[in-house]
Amino acid sequence: MTREQLLGRKPLHVLEKIRENLERLNEKMEVMIELQKHGRQDLQPLADTPLDVMTLLSMPDHLRKTAMTICRCGRATAEEVAQQTSRARAVESAYLNQLVIMGYLKKERKGRKAYFYADRDSQG
Amino acid sequence: MNKIVAVHSYKGGTGKTLLSVNLAATFAKHGKKVCLFDLDFRAPSLFAILKVGTADYWLNDYLNGKCGIDKVLLDLSSRIPGNGKFFVALANPSTEAIREMSAKDRKWEMRALGKLLSLRNTLLNDKEFDYLIFDTSPGLQYSSINAIVTADFVVVATTGDRSDVDGTRRMLRELYNLFEKKTGLVINKVLDPTSKKDEMDAKVRNVYQVPMLGLVPCFCEVLRAEGNLIFAQDKPNHPFTKILDEMARKIDAKEVN
Repeated sequence: MTREQLLGRKPLHVLEKIRENLERLNEKMEVMIELQKHGRQDLQPLADTPLDVMTLLSMPDHLRKTAMTICRCGRATAEEVAQQTSRARAVESAYLNQLVIMGYLKKERKGRKAYFYADRDSQG
Repeated sequence: MNKIVAVHSYKGGTGKTLLSVNLAATFAKHGKKVCLFDLDFRAPSLFAILKVGTADYWLNDYLNGKCGIDKVLLDLSSRIPGNGKFFVALANPSTEAIREMSAKDRKWEMRALGKLLSLRNTLLNDKEFDYLIFDTSPGLQYSSINAIVTADFVVVATTGDRSDVDGTRRMLRELYNLFEKKTGLVINKVLDPTSKKDEMDAKVRNVYQVPMLGLVPCFCEVLRAEGNLIFAQDKPNHPFTKILDEMARKIDAKEVN
């Protein structure tokens, strides 16, 4: 693709891509900040641990609130979780991504939105 | 919103089933549409108490993904006076079913939680039920914690028994509080309740630090009834019926939040 094509024909598309990448970068940074805040010992992933009530009980309080909201909603964006918990979207985004790293939640992108859910249907 | 009410206790024999059956029947008597769930899969009892002949589908089948919840519900409205609706969802009492339910893994329990949580949509929103009452197993085990997580409000049944007090207190602090559940305490089997009312009030405030939902005296009629336990139906003027009326009113008016 030539420079003219990029700037002339698809500038909007390119800007969208840049914005998406920046948002992803931002999410990753939020996770890193949270990891430092709470220490890494809470966040060791356990191989294929389901998000059941015993797991919920053993979680640190700040993550339990987020995980419970996903359990209730089934599937939600950070924005939707933030509305329920009355915490900032960026905070929920960080906690949700931590829960993904820990293996309790799955993340799926649909366009510009990222949905989080507990994988109840996979076998095993 | 106290739409889903779980009745739970630390120890067995505190009167959970007596309370849940009668609380559900009382709501129905007050004109509400209610469903009572037997979530005590290790020792199912509603089947016998409500004298249901047989059921085509059990709550076990719903949680196992074998059928929808509508197949499980039995309409017992004709047993309750008034225009309310009284449905039940029963646990399978066969030994085989109990054994099967005791051997479930964590992944299954996670799915079961999802199934219980989805009742809010299927029964409260779509079928317009006013209340779902969960009768649970005592103590900390999967089926009861799943019920508590799903519930809006937990009725905690306890007795004056010393072995129960400490465990109940710990459960309030380390289970219900962690899940941010609203709770109301019912002290059951109280001897000489009139002279002990103030003492009990102070005890609940100091020891448990939760609101008291009700004080139930030790009624010999409950023992004499030999399991015929629907007081709202059988003994409309009994003091226990009045206590249940008051509890239902408090939950309905959200006075115990």
